[in-house]
Amino acid sequence: MINRRNFLGLGLGAIAVAAIPGKLSAIDFRETKPKAWTATKVDEAVKEIFGTTATTEGSINLSAPDIAENGAVIPVSFDTKLNATKVAVFQDANPESAVAVFTVHPDAVIDYAIRIKMQKTGTVTVIAEADGKLYSVSKLVKVTIGGCGG
Amino acid sequence: MSGTTKIKAKLKDGVVEIKALASHPMLSYQEAERAKKEVNFITYVIAKVGDKVVYEASTSQFLSKDPYLKFNFKGANAGDVLELTWKDLKGNTDVSTTTIK
Repeated sequence: MINRRNFLGLGLGAIAVAAIPGKLSAIDFRETKPKAWTATKVDEAVKEIFGTTATTEGSINLSAPDIAENGAVIPVSFDTKLNATKVAVFQDANPESAVAVFTVHPDAVIDYAIRIKMQKTGTVTVIAEADGKLYSVSKLVKVTIGGCGG
Repeated sequence: MSGTTKIKAKLKDGVVEIKALASHPMLSYQEAERAKKEVNFITYVIAKVGDKVVYEASTSQFLSKDPYLKFNFKGANAGDVLELTWKDLKGNTDVSTTTIK
């Protein structure tokens, strides 16, 4: 029988090897696009991440509350059938605009949900890049109690 | 700090739905200043099945405290292990795993 300790060791080695090709394909937008995260206007952040601000409305379903009583926890979910490679979420209520940038891998199904903070009423925008074009959808969320310590 | 993320992974009609709840204060610059604490938030999340990346996100301070992440992907089977890793501003990392049901 294989020694348990050795067996576990082998498993860890295999994971370490497997992690290397994964790292190469991965993109951390905080490192590659540092300016996008300090941009204070949605347009600036969009330009940093996608290289352009020309978008087409629609093709994405965005769900967020009309009125958020607690700005600290606002559920935002979106899905799209677009063959998108990159999706990003922005809002214009906080000092900086970018919330999250997703890299969409071949097996991913874009049906995502996150919870975000907004310190006041603002517009949530989701932008997806598919086949070299940008698609966007926006929704106004009224915030009655701010969520950034406000 | 490892393995603190609660993850549910459910396979239905060929699509795996993941619901994950990370445990992190997510202190934004303003919040940290008010609380007299150091700024810190999750900046990067990656999920893999084996060596295949199924979800990847770069995130900001505007995710809520204890971030909730829902995502879907194809091409995995029940019994496969999903590994979710996050990294924060201070360089802490957390690796959590769950078996797809």
